[in-house]
Formats: sequence, C-alpha cells, structure tokens
Amino acid sequence: MEQKIGKQIKLPFRRAMQISLRGIRIRFGRSLVTVSGVVLGIAFLMSNLTGQLIKQAIAKERAQRDTVNMMLALVRAEIGSVSGKKIAVAVCGALSDVDRLLLDQVVAAGPESVRGLGFEMKGVTSVPVESLGQEAALLLVLGNATRSELKLSALSAGMRQRVVLDSVEDRVYAGPADSSVRRDPFFGKESDEQIQKAQQQARAERFRTIWIVGISLLVTVLGVANALLMSVTERFREIGTMKCLGALSAFIRTLFLIESSLIGLAGSLVGVVVGALLPMIAYSFAFRFGLVFGSMPYGPLFIAAAGAVVVGTLLAVLAAIYPARFASRMVPASALRSTV
Amino acid sequence: MSNGDNQTTGLSTRLDEMLAGARDSAKGSYVIRAVGVKKVYKMGDSETHALRGVTLDVRRGEYMSIMGPSGSGKSTFFNMIGGLDKPTAGKVYIDQVDIAQLDPYELAWLRCRKVGYIFQMFNLIQVMSCLENVMLPMSFAGKDSEEAREKALEILGLVGLAERALHKPAEMSGGQQQRVAIARALANTPDILLADEPTGNLDLKTGEEIIELFKHLRDTLGVTIITATHDLKMLKASDRIVWIEDGNLARVSTPEESGIHLEEVH
Repeated sequence: MEQKIGKQIKLPFRRAMQISLRGIRIRFGRSLVTVSGVVLGIAFLMSNLTGQLIKQAIAKERAQRDTVNMMLALVRAEIGSVSGKKIAVAVCGALSDVDRLLLDQVVAAGPESVRGLGFEMKGVTSVPVESLGQEAALLLVLGNATRSELKLSALSAGMRQRVVLDSVEDRVYAGPADSSVRRDPFFGKESDEQIQKAQQQARAERFRTIWIVGISLLVTVLGVANALLMSVTERFREIGTMKCLGALSAFIRTLFLIESSLIGLAGSLVGVVVGALLPMIAYSFAFRFGLVFGSMPYGPLFIAAAGAVVVGTLLAVLAAIYPARFASRMVPASALRSTV
Repeated sequence: MSNGDNQTTGLSTRLDEMLAGARDSAKGSYVIRAVGVKKVYKMGDSETHALRGVTLDVRRGEYMSIMGPSGSGKSTFFNMIGGLDKPTAGKVYIDQVDIAQLDPYELAWLRCRKVGYIFQMFNLIQVMSCLENVMLPMSFAGKDSEEAREKALEILGLVGLAERALHKPAEMSGGQQQRVAIARALANTPDILLADEPTGNLDLKTGEEIIELFKHLRDTLGVTIITATHDLKMLKASDRIVWIEDGNLARVSTPEESGIHLEEVH
C-alpha cells in the first residue's frame, strides 16, 4: 500500500527575510567587516565619479571667469575704470552664465548708474529705449539672440562715444559702432594639436581610472564572496540542521542571497556618502569651499550615487551566487557530524 | 553470531502486546524497511564500500539502537534509514515509500513530517529562542505562526521546559538543550525519531533523564525511536540492538542477549 508523500511548500519571502536579518544582527561584527569591504569599494567608485564631476564643474566655472575677466580688461582698456561712469545695458534674448557674471561684476564695480532695457535686476534702473544711451560711457549688449531687434543707433542714441561691449560675436546690427569691444574669437581656444594632445591625455586617464575602479570593485566582490564562504562553512551545522527539519535548498539559497544583498545595500549607501563627501572636502581645501559646493552639479551627482548603490548591491548579490549554491547543495547528513 | 535474523518470536509477541492500540494497524507494522542496501563512496579512482548489502526491518513503535565501531558504516546506515542519503543499490522504504524515487521537494517533505532528528551536539539554532527552534519545522511545514506557537508551547511542556520557552539555547544546560531538540524533533508529530548519540554530550544523570524521556515518548506517542549510540544505558533501554560491522549487519539482538558485549563496549 503506497502512502502519500506530499511536496514541501516554498516558504514566503518574508520568513527568509526574518531569519536572514536575525543572522546578520547576531553576527553583527562579522557582518560589519563584510559591509566595510563594500563600503571601501563603492566609496572608491563614488569618489572617482564625484571627483570627475567637481573637476568638470570647476573647469567650467574657471573658463567663465576667465572670459569675464578678459572682457572687463578690454572694457578698462577702452573707457578706464567703470566706477563713477554711466553704463547702459540692453538684453536681447536669454542671458548666459557668462552674461550674468559680467553684469554682476560691472554692477559691483560701482558705476554712477546702470540703466537697463529688456530685463529687471537689483541696482539697475529700467528705462525706455530713447533714454538708454543718454550720457552713457559704455553700452553692454547681452543675451543670446544673434540678430538684434533694435538698431544700434537707437540703443546708443545720446552716447558721447559709442563704446559697445557685445557678448555675442558677430551680432548683426543695423549700423556699425564707433568703438566696439568684442571678444577675441581665438581667446582661450587651443590649437588643433593642443586639443588632440589634451584629448589623448584625457582618454589615457579615463582608461586608467576605469581600470583601477574595476580592479577595486573586483576585489570587493572577492572579499564579499570570501566572507560569505566563511560564513557558510561556519554555519554548516546550522544549514544541515535546517535541511533535516525540512528546509528546501531554494530556501537556504534565498537566505544567503538576502543576506548579501542587504550587506551590499548597506555598504553601498555608506560608501556613496563617504565617497561623495571626501573629494568634495578635499577639493574645498585645494580651491574655495564655496566654489566646490556652489558649482557642484547636484543632479548628476545624485544619478551617480544611485548608480553606485545599484552597482554595489548587484555586485554583492553576484558575490553570493557561489557561496549560496555551495550552502544549498550541502547534504543534510553533515548536520550529524559532531566535529564541525 | 553471523549475519541473519535473530528476531525471536518471543520478542515479537512481547512488542506487539506492548504497543497494541498505540498503532494504527492499517499503516503496516514496519515503519522502515531496508532491503540489500549498499553504499559506495567514490573518491577519485578509489571506491569505499561503506555498506555491503544490509537488510533490516524496523517495527512501528520500536526503540532500536544501532551499534558499531567507527568506520563500520553505522553512520551511513543511520543516514540512509533517516532519508538523509540515498543508497547506491538496494531500497530503503520509509512508510512503504521508496526514498530513491522521491524528488527534492518530496524528500524535504518527508524529513519535515515523517522523521524527527536529534543530534549529539543538539544543533539548536543559536540565534533563535527555544520556542522559535521548536516552531521552525512547523513553519517549514507551512503552519501559521499562531498555531505553531501554541503547539510548540504544548510540546515544550511535554519535555518539561514550558517556562523556559523564551530563553536562548546558550542560556540552558546541555540536558535542557537536548530536551528542546527533542521537542523540535517532535514538532510535526513524526513517525520516527532518529537520534545520533543523543547522550554523547551529556553527563550520566541527564543522559538517564533523556533515556527516560525517550521511553516515555515511545509509550505515549507510539513513535519509533532509532538511536546510534555507545551509551550502555541507552542500549539497555532499547528493544533491539543492531550491530553493524564492516559494512554488514553483524547481528540483531535484545539487550539481554548481548549482555556480555555490553560490558566490552563499556
């Protein structure tokens, strides 16, 4: 007479989660060591990403400042110091970062008055087009529109001398200025040879960075795998006992995968924070505090952080595949061995 | 004394009388049948014959001890009849089911409900309280936690540890831990209790208490108890003693018949 043998049910994920969490909590010291391995790897990845973002932001900020300084130098050469003079500003189209910086610098230089057309700003008196040029020493034309809707003659009406600083090269006016202060189109641009050399250098550096970061992540994966293998060996009896009590291999596998993904997640979160803050602080010492934190592109930084967390967690799970299989394939009889 | 069946008719009738009523006759009188069980371990090119064809029937409600020197194949045989290992040749039937035919899910089911395992080192999960340890096999069986909790407390009461249910294993003595392990083995009301040197790590007095508990469980629950042991007192308490030597079944005897040998063992 054949007796019915049922099939063992799969336990809900929640139960495996409970047991895993408890395991991590009890073996907290061991878990911390494993977590810190992930922290280091991810912090290294994140600090490289952050460093790159900071470098880019600083370079951009510097290029802008250089352009503005160059323009101001040209202005000074033309009309002397801005302070005590009447300045007229006309805006055509949207202002760029350089425009804003230039405007700020001019206003801050202490002119007698700044009259503006087409925009609102503190310290600038908005005036109609007829009175814009009155007695002005300098006319600033800012904004990104390449074709001015207003005639230069209308803007500069009443100026003793038509000194015009235009932020857009080759802007088309209805008439020529007496003396225009233009950006030197070659200023700040390297020759083709220089550009090629710089690009080559950047490529080599990027390759080196990817290589080092890749190796460090690989070391992290091996570290986590090693720690989990140790943990499996240590828990041979526990795993065997659970199997004797009716645990399925899949359940044992799930236990270890959950444990390592939690380790990966915790390690990545800490690693991302450490890896983002360290280079920001280090660059702050090298440059100015405000420059680094002010020019930091926080959107891309957040995306990089989210990416690093995902990478860290996935790598930890990857590291757990072999130990988890090793554990789940263990024969239950090993629980009976008294000398493990 | 060579291979063969030493099952005396006298012993059979005595056992039948003793366990009448505790058993459901429809279930069959043999809970485990091993037929010509062989096990070969392969290590590279060399082969080790751990078992060379052992045939043995275990009666329902019996208290059986397995004896044998280390390396005799005793542990292998023990694992085999407990559904922990599959034979290379021959058949092992647990409750009329050939375990070689079972898939991993069915094997896990069998280990969960048919057999309760007791270990020399107790093997309690250290990170769990006694109550949770006893509840664990029930949650593997899919019991909801409220029901499992009630049943676990009931079983812990049976082994006299109801008031220590929330303690961690590390806070208890060896004898207490082994009683928790027995409670855990009984969680899903198995037909068979499989105990590997259950008194091996206990002092004489607590060992005796465990033996008493086994006898009590056999008499009240009708559970079949199979132990691998060297403990003289355990051997004395058992209904039958099975001697395994060099991969063969050397003999099966009652404690009275093996009186001389017990002294040797001791």
